[in-house]
Amino acid sequence: MNDIYQATLLAHAKNPHGAGRVPAGSEDAEALNTACGDEIRLKLSWTSGGGLERMTYELHGCAVSMASASMAARRLEGMLPSEIATMAAAFAARLGHAGFAEEWGDFQAFNGIEKYPARIHCAMLVWQALEKALANKRNEK
Amino acid sequence: MSERPESAGKGEVFDPGSIRRPFAILNRDLAWLDNAATTQRPEPVLKAMDQFYRLHNANTRRSVHRLGAEATAAYEGARAAVAAFIGAKSPAEIVFTGGTTASINLAVAGFARWEIGPGDEVWVSAMEHHSNWVPWQEAVKGVGASLKVIPLTSDGRLDLAAFRKGLSAHRAKWVAATWVSNVLGAANDVRAICAAAHAAGARVLVDGAQGVAHLPADVAAMDCDFFAFSGHKMYGPMGIGALWGRGELLEQMHPSIFGGEMIARVDEQTSTWAEVPYRFEGGTPHVAGAVGLAAAIEWVRALPPAAHEHVANLAREAAERLAALKDVRVWGPAEGRVSLVSFSVKGVHAHDVAQVLDSRGIAVRAGHMCAQPLMRRLGIESAVRASFAPYNTTDEIRRLLEGVRAAQELFT
Repeated sequence: MNDIYQATLLAHAKNPHGAGRVPAGSEDAEALNTACGDEIRLKLSWTSGGGLERMTYELHGCAVSMASASMAARRLEGMLPSEIATMAAAFAARLGHAGFAEEWGDFQAFNGIEKYPARIHCAMLVWQALEKALANKRNEK
Repeated sequence: MSERPESAGKGEVFDPGSIRRPFAILNRDLAWLDNAATTQRPEPVLKAMDQFYRLHNANTRRSVHRLGAEATAAYEGARAAVAAFIGAKSPAEIVFTGGTTASINLAVAGFARWEIGPGDEVWVSAMEHHSNWVPWQEAVKGVGASLKVIPLTSDGRLDLAAFRKGLSAHRAKWVAATWVSNVLGAANDVRAICAAAHAAGARVLVDGAQGVAHLPADVAAMDCDFFAFSGHKMYGPMGIGALWGRGELLEQMHPSIFGGEMIARVDEQTSTWAEVPYRFEGGTPHVAGAVGLAAAIEWVRALPPAAHEHVANLAREAAERLAALKDVRVWGPAEGRVSLVSFSVKGVHAHDVAQVLDSRGIAVRAGHMCAQPLMRRLGIESAVRASFAPYNTTDEIRRLLEGVRAAQELFT
């Protein structure tokens, strides 16, 4: 049980970084967990230097999806779109497989999620929205 | 069938232990409270399927050899068992399908879509499962017909007064309604729905999936036109179900699965169809599934009335005790629960409640339960559902409540 609801994950879920109102229609991307109906609307703002200034999201989801979004909001701040894309790919590749080494910080809370395969989608939700938001940003150019 | 429960009269104390024994899977340390998703199967069902494959396996109807005759007899015997189980006039009114979803799709594709046209209205109830909603969306799409929804009353029942008022005798063509809601838990008055629909000239398809394990099914008394159900929600195998249709309607229904078994004569350019119901069963049928379903029917029919009372009592008790917990909201009407209770825990997502419960060996459903339109009407994205069978116990409700409290402690 404690594999999944570790203190780190619970702390993020209870006080999520970046959670807020993103009215429908104002989002840069949204993602839906078709298994449960959970959804996230994501809004990204960028600095003049091109780095991520702030990630705001409105998420109706479980503790796992909320913690994942919170960790991402904190970790990705300041990163360039290309760096975020690289991190998103690495996250997806590691989640439920190799897991997260020390340099991944709080994301280590997802080590062991492979025992709960149904929850992998929950942890991925914010990252799916992020990838869509980055793709939309690329297409705008 | 020595495993069959001994019958107990009304008022006698029911012992779930006597029912539990033939369910080997329940020997795992497991409180299986996800029966509305799928029940477990008792030994006689497993044995019947096993014996079919070990002793009688052959394709049906087209084999001259003795195993073919045995397989055909088993398959047609199962059809007769289904017919008797739901009060059909004849086994020919029973079409075997892959389950409730396949049954509804068959009726919509083979019948409803052929007669729904511009200006027509199709009604679905607000508490339909996606399987009795989405096919109707498809049926009205692109033909100028519209989908209307039977609304809910504030206590979570169907608002039949609003339905009667909104029914148009000129436009209403079809009504799709569930017998028992897979979320709210009460049985609908399908007989009243059918009466109103027929008075307006509309036909009715009833989704019986959540009812057949718990309530006596009688399509004649319901007076519906089509009735769909699955084997696996009534202790039978997955992958088998049935569509019942009034004989004269099945004669008008178009086949939608074409190929072997369903034809009378095939020429190079055209074909003619086998008689009803075979023309709707293209391809090799799931004979072992039908045999297992027949065994499940026999098992359900042998349940004493006290077993059904026990299930209803568990659902009522669980609902009452959950509702008494702080920050827990129970959905659906207080009276008339057939077998299940859905609830939400304030501040704790349904998946997290279910995960905590799973860690304690309690299996429940969490999510939208394939009823997203209903969830939106209730103002929620998801809920937790505990659903019961005769093998469940009061002690499992105690464990459920302890688990819910543990989830509250963890997340709030």
